[in-house]
Amino acid sequence: MNKAKTERYRVRHLMGLGALAGAFTLAATLVFSGVVRDVIGPAYAHKEHHQEDELQIFEEIFMEYVILGDRLFHGDAELEEEMGVNLSDTGMACAMCHPFAKDTNPHEFPKFQEQMGEFSTLAGMTNWCIDNPNQGEEIDVDSEAMKALEAYQYWSHDGSVLNPGVH
Amino acid sequence: MNRKERMEQQRQQERLEEVRDALRKRELLEPGISMPGMSRRTFMHKSLMFAGGVAGLSTANLWLPIINTFDMAFASENAEGGINNFRFAWISDTHLYPEDVNTRFVEKAKRAVDEINALDPPVDFVVMGGDLAQLGDPVELRLGKEIMDELEVDVYYIPGEHDWYLDMGETFVDLFGESPWTFDHKGVRFIGLDTISRAPDYWSVTNMSPEERMGHMAGLDNSVTGPWAGLGRSQRDWLESTLNDWDRDDPVVIFSHNPLYEYYPPWNFWVRDWRETLEILRPFNNVTDFHGHTHQVLYNEIDNIRLIGMLATAWPWPYAPEGVPPMTRPMTRVDPGDHFDGLGWDLMTFQDNRVEHEYMMWRRRDHIFANRPEDNAVTKNPSIKLQPRVADRMWTGRYRGTD
Ligand SMILES: [Fe+2]
Ligand SMILES: [Fe+2]
Repeated sequence: MNKAKTERYRVRHLMGLGALAGAFTLAATLVFSGVVRDVIGPAYAHKEHHQEDELQIFEEIFMEYVILGDRLFHGDAELEEEMGVNLSDTGMACAMCHPFAKDTNPHEFPKFQEQMGEFSTLAGMTNWCIDNPNQGEEIDVDSEAMKALEAYQYWSHDGSVLNPGVH
Repeated sequence: MNRKERMEQQRQQERLEEVRDALRKRELLEPGISMPGMSRRTFMHKSLMFAGGVAGLSTANLWLPIINTFDMAFASENAEGGINNFRFAWISDTHLYPEDVNTRFVEKAKRAVDEINALDPPVDFVVMGGDLAQLGDPVELRLGKEIMDELEVDVYYIPGEHDWYLDMGETFVDLFGESPWTFDHKGVRFIGLDTISRAPDYWSVTNMSPEERMGHMAGLDNSVTGPWAGLGRSQRDWLESTLNDWDRDDPVVIFSHNPLYEYYPPWNFWVRDWRETLEILRPFNNVTDFHGHTHQVLYNEIDNIRLIGMLATAWPWPYAPEGVPPMTRPMTRVDPGDHFDGLGWDLMTFQDNRVEHEYMMWRRRDHIFANRPEDNAVTKNPSIKLQPRVADRMWTGRYRGTD
């Protein structure tokens, strides 16, 4: 039973990985249209105690996104093309002003963001930077690329104390 | 006011008292008298008031030398006649891409050149402090030369890591000559160092292409390149012999791409042999190091040596996660919506054997420095923890703009 459950996560994860590699568009269509979710079914969360390898898979999935985010954040033209995003038209990458993601301060969001003149989430601010200093094209806040960029910024600040709203 | 703010305020108050004590000991401040007023000319010394902390640097042995400078800087203004009154300027970290990739960087480099040309009286010379190009591309370096050639005075070049690791300095040396170099000008010994060409070989083992080698080097927070900043034994020997015949009380000015102390090694905000280098400079009583690479306002003193961080024209780097040297009065947080903000060039004035430095910061001339923690991005949020990258060692791609 647990084996089967583990296998299900692995399949879902592999689908995710496949989506990020070559056949990104097709797989993404399947995933987002809900086809995959309907076939595999929702995860039956917390009905059974977790096995070690399940937890490991959760962690692996998280780190996959962190690594993708790290690459996007540091300006990886090939990956951008693969993921169908254009984060910059000036040669500027996020990490040029934010080595180690310093001063992105994900633990302070959401907050009023002065440049934007509005209350913003981390994704909103990330898009503002893509749009303004980088002069790239804003991305869907629910896109794989945004999830990856968020994952990298949060991971970089692991252990920071939450301080929402602080300027 | 919450608890954190009260603690911060108390900390600053204590620090201020410490400074006052130090000043009283030197009889520069009568008991009960407050600190003298602030002007741009004295900002370095007032930087003492601001808290910060860099691991490994003891504040104790840093207090007194700066008082010395304080003293001498003021004495010089009252002195009669001038031994060596002249000015020179610094431009660095223009990080030029080819013009069709990024026009803003070109625009900003040209603005610095135009402003220096407009000075009256003119400067005696200009130093280009490295990172002229972004990816070491000959197209970028030649564009840089074209822009710098518009300067109406002599220009002296030292290399930055971005100028070097595509063709290992071939184009740079071809266009701008070898480093290190030295010349004497109006009683001052000027020395330009090469702190960037001695990286440990991180490319041969994995058979990196020149573009990949440059790509890793171009990432400040990339760990593959290791501790690449340093003078190396031969250059330190050269430095020592260059100073052999120089009087210990006469002024020495050093230009280096990287700071000659340990500020933040993970970003090579240091040279790895800074202890040995400072040891060579220690016998001299009037030494100033002007450095690029850090793209931010920085000030430090170690023994007799002042070390001053210069502005970039391309983009500002954030302050290091562990804070700034205790003597640095932090700059105001920059506005990412304004691509001129926090950037600019530097103007140095020599008067009676003392060099005074001024940040020619665009958009911020009257509020370069920030007092409130909310405004300076150093003490802003003490609850931050940061960890280094994860993908730099698996990344084999190329930076944007390389293709
Ligand atoms: Fe630089
Ligand atoms: Fe540099």
